[in-house]
Amino acid sequence: MMSRRRFVTRMIRASIWTSIFVRILSRNAQAKIVEQTSYKQFTHGEADALAAWCDVIVSGARNAGVAKFVDQNLSGDQASSLLLLRYLNANDMVGFYRKGIIGIDAESHHRFGASFLQLKKSQQNEMIAAAVASKMQVWRDPDPNFFYFISRSDAVDVVYGTEAGFADLGIPYLAHILPPKPW
Amino acid sequence: MAKISREKVEVVIAGSGIAGSTMAAELGEAGFNVLVLEAGPERKLSEMISSQIWSRRLRWAGPEVQETGDLVGAANFAMGWGTGGAGLHWYANWYRLHPDDFRVRSQYGRSLDWPISYEELRPWYDHAQVYFGVSGGKNPSAPPGASYPMPAIPISSQSAAIKRGFDAEGLTLTSNTLAVNSVPYDGRAGCILDGWCDAGCPIGALANPLVLQWPRAKRAGVKLRHNAYVTRIETDPSGSRATGVVYIDENGQENFQPADVVIAACHTIWNARLLLLSSNDKYPDGLGNSSGTLGHYFTSHALTTIHGLFKQETEPHTGVTGANTLCLDGYDKKQPAKDAFGSRAWLVAQAAKPNDLLGTALAKPELFGDALNNYLHRASSHYGNMTVLCEEDAIPENRVALDPSKRDRYGLPQARVINSLPQENVARSELAKSEGLRIFKAAGTREAWAGPRAPMHMIGGTIMGSDPTTSVTNSFGQIHEVENVFVAGASLFPTPGAINPTATLAALVFRTADFIRTNRSSLLP
Ligand SMILES: Cc1cc2nc3c(=O)[nH]c(=O)nc-3n(C[C@H](O)[C@H](O)[C@H](O)COP(=O)(O)OP(=O)(O)OC[C@H]3O[C@@H](n4cnc5c(N)ncnc54)[C@H](O)[C@@H]3O)c2cc1C
Ligand code: SF4
Repeated sequence: MMSRRRFVTRMIRASIWTSIFVRILSRNAQAKIVEQTSYKQFTHGEADALAAWCDVIVSGARNAGVAKFVDQNLSGDQASSLLLLRYLNANDMVGFYRKGIIGIDAESHHRFGASFLQLKKSQQNEMIAAAVASKMQVWRDPDPNFFYFISRSDAVDVVYGTEAGFADLGIPYLAHILPPKPW
Repeated sequence: MAKISREKVEVVIAGSGIAGSTMAAELGEAGFNVLVLEAGPERKLSEMISSQIWSRRLRWAGPEVQETGDLVGAANFAMGWGTGGAGLHWYANWYRLHPDDFRVRSQYGRSLDWPISYEELRPWYDHAQVYFGVSGGKNPSAPPGASYPMPAIPISSQSAAIKRGFDAEGLTLTSNTLAVNSVPYDGRAGCILDGWCDAGCPIGALANPLVLQWPRAKRAGVKLRHNAYVTRIETDPSGSRATGVVYIDENGQENFQPADVVIAACHTIWNARLLLLSSNDKYPDGLGNSSGTLGHYFTSHALTTIHGLFKQETEPHTGVTGANTLCLDGYDKKQPAKDAFGSRAWLVAQAAKPNDLLGTALAKPELFGDALNNYLHRASSHYGNMTVLCEEDAIPENRVALDPSKRDRYGLPQARVINSLPQENVARSELAKSEGLRIFKAAGTREAWAGPRAPMHMIGGTIMGSDPTTSVTNSFGQIHEVENVFVAGASLFPTPGAINPTATLAALVFRTADFIRTNRSSLLP
């Protein structure tokens, strides 16, 4: 346990400068949206990482605001949360996401020497496939497979679980009571 | 801080879900002065927003549960919080236990027996289906009983696609029985088959406590207090009578609510915990625990869902979330193979939206990126599913317990659920999975696959029995040691059968309410 923690810390420290530099360069149009967004729980870095991770799982999740969705629903109490995580592990929802985001970057630094945001598409896919197959090398906590399951559900929620998402899939929405907003 | 003392009532009920609200309406209408204490907030029909995202707000938001074992993991999904409890987002599949489910121990030498037979409960099932409003047709594999008050809902395209597989396997697929109005009933609208039951049915086509029990209870003068978490039942110094309950209100203040009769209707885990928390000098191991069985014999149903993509269009977003059709053929064959034990029931063609736990996306959790997008576009019109419920033996090792080392938000020892599926039930569940895959293959699916085994429903922990040395309550849910304390809910079931519990829970509530009515003079001092 101790050695894993040390390892993660070392990888994060070693890469911090490259990470900041590349992040400045890679702030593209999508990042602009993020810049304008204020987060209550996440730092911008955490939000960017989560959004990038979810966007590989469900294309369009970043633009649909997945990081904001998660952040917003971690900020109230459990009773008002719209996250699927509340069914399965409501004990420390903020800690779950925060540790997961640290796990993503620790694994990506370990495998490719760069943060998840900086990876090539094929490398990002490889990371997700490793989460699906429970084959992460350094990321242990929270269980990467479970983190994938939850973050995938968040991404599916914002992309396909809304009226617009239903329309994209050709499903009539047929609401009794329409949601006041998508989420 | 001193407890606030409240004005005495005749009956206090902890929990406003289907069990608590039905009991409250029945006793209120019988002229009792009834108060219901509900831990969660007030709920309104307007909160039943048609969205799998927004519907999560209706779910459990009470104290945490620790879960260990191989058949646990979704307690927060299975419980409700606030007026009506899980009755606001249940699916209304409505089934009777079969005669053999009441006598598993005497017939098979395992699990437990009930203190009553099917025949004793049968009139209460008949009564409950009229009260709730049940639609359904004849089913030769179902136990005998009165015909349903409404015809079955029509067969969906999803069911029609799957039926070919049942036919090929020589199994009968019948219409489902549901507490859903196939036609307008009792002043409530008929179902429009839009598939939103999991998010709540604000038009009241699905029997939920906001449209069914609470209007009746309120007319009868029943009072309902929200944000009132019941923490213990108090008894007099002799321990022979309960004097009322202690609850924590929204300000964190302790209150004492005196009552002549106390009824725990908090759902399985919390019924057991409330009795365990009510220990005192007279009952050091918990109220109703002289037998040592309090908390024990917890059971669930082992569920496996079979998913498939069909050549024809199945309109999976339509219909009811429960199930459109049903197969009870072979239910009574509890020993389908050597070393395999338990009944099984197939619930077929549940309406599915793209997201949430039962959505089409999570049916294939390994897909991501383009593969997920392609699959979802196909699944949106060609997906089909069915779920098998398999019986779990009642064994003492599976239980609800207190963990004094961990405290919840009320400062109370946390609840722990320990549940692992006995080996012969695992074998039964595996047989059912193979059967399901064969059915889907025979139905001509392009692709069929099985999801993981998961728990569904929480049952037992305050089991009823005739012998006070081996059970917590008698057949009326009255705890053996203290005559004015009752338990209502599926926590009373000694065995779970392989069908959803709420019809049986309701039948028992009506039977207990009748008992309390009949014994009014001895119960009220
Ligand atoms: C998604 C889903 C689908 C389902 N579908 C079906 C189905 O198709 N068919 C079927 O038969 N069953 C189904 N069920 C199960 C069914 O909902 C339950 O059997 C039924 O709701 C149990 O009723 P209850 O009153 O015992 O508990 P609940 O409905 O859970 O109500 C208990 C209430 O007690 C309150 N409470 C808890 N602790 C305390 C306390 N200490 N003090 C005060 N209040 C407290 C809770 O807030 C809650 O409101 C489903 C359940 C779920 C979650
Ligand atoms: S499908 Fe029927 S029962 Fe379900 S929410 Fe719609 S109208 Fe109500």
